Amino acid sequence: MVDTKQREVTTLNMILLALAVLSLAVAVWDVFSDTFRAGTDDLFLVLVCLMLALLFAISPLMWARANGWLKNPFAEEAFAEGGAEMEVTHEEHGGSDRQNIMVWGVLIGLTAVEVFLAYIQIPLTLMVIILMGASIIKAALIIAYFMHLKFERLSLILTIVPTLVVLLCLFAILFPDSFRLHNLRPAEAAQQAEPER
Amino acid sequence: MADANAETLAINDWGGGVHPYRIGHRKLGMWLFIMSDSLTFGALLVTYSYARVASVRWPTPFSIYPSIAFSTVMTLVLLSSSLTMVFAVSASKRGKRGSARKWIVATMALGLTFVVLHMMEWRHLIVDEGLAPFQLPDEWLKGWPGASPLFGSTFFGITGLHMFHVLTGVIYLGVIAARIKKLNDDVEIAGLYWHFVDLVWMFVFPLIYLLSVDYNHVLGK
Repeated sequence: MVDTKQREVTTLNMILLALAVLSLAVAVWDVFSDTFRAGTDDLFLVLVCLMLALLFAISPLMWARANGWLKNPFAEEAFAEGGAEMEVTHEEHGGSDRQNIMVWGVLIGLTAVEVFLAYIQIPLTLMVIILMGASIIKAALIIAYFMHLKFERLSLILTIVPTLVVLLCLFAILFPDSFRLHNLRPAEAAQQAEPER
Repeated sequence: MADANAETLAINDWGGGVHPYRIGHRKLGMWLFIMSDSLTFGALLVTYSYARVASVRWPTPFSIYPSIAFSTVMTLVLLSSSLTMVFAVSASKRGKRGSARKWIVATMALGLTFVVLHMMEWRHLIVDEGLAPFQLPDEWLKGWPGASPLFGSTFFGITGLHMFHVLTGVIYLGVIAARIKKLNDDVEIAGLYWHFVDLVWMFVFPLIYLLSVDYNHVLGK
């Protein structure tokens, strides 16, 4: 009875793993195929494939982790940082005051870096990339520590985070269309706008 | 905690049981609200970026001083209010309700400071500069010919909705602080909301302010 169930679980996870690999393969194929032009359609296809791969991979990965085949690479680091505290905080539902103040300090520091970059003026594209990266790091810190999501059950994290990431990415998929719209503007107007946008 | 039974029922992370997420239904409700609200702000910010990139010209009117310095102070105030909210939640967890109330009041004060500072910023743009939701001031149009009039609507729309969230949060926290003796996990749930408002500002501030610095001193400041 137990053997049958285990075999079932193994089979299902293998099927899911195969689907994940297949989705990943489609994404890779799209990038390296001749028709790839990095337009909206291509980005959409790659993103959807990567999302599907992630979706299919979640269950096998968790299964592998439960069986001890997959070690969390961050586990040791967390142990060094929090030490025995980690066990206690899980019960208490949150980090210590000291940890929260440290997170706050990092948030302030990142903000200071952002403002400094705005002050010295760097190229716009680089600026956008750095700002968005810093904002995502800040958002992750706030969600993980201030909103305690790091200390919640894995099922809640897996319900909230992937959903949000996928939906926000779906918004962003439409974004490259704005470049097309910009390029469709009349030539003289576009020329005027050369220096800044 | 009351969920101790769920522990034994739920064997693995997808095991379900009586409390599949090991949190109360109200906290789950707040998480669902936060998800839907982040999509609202996500849509607004993507729309703003879309309109900005697709436009021939987009005004970048904020001078380092006072505008950027001002909004940086606002960011620091909001970040600090998140920290005081964290202290309120941890005090409430330890059963120190009086202390939790003090921290909540501190959070409210910082939230109100943010709103007041933001109102001053708005007043400066509306009264001194003459910016309107669908119309740019003449001086700006001289500096950026053919600039999109959508600057005002995106600016007031996004920061206005965020300010409304801060104001709602202050009222929400006020109710929590007043009734703290009768409440249990409400402080933590209010904290989730407050941190979310802070989180949204972490995207609004760079996208709206830091990417609109007037480097060429078009407005002569």
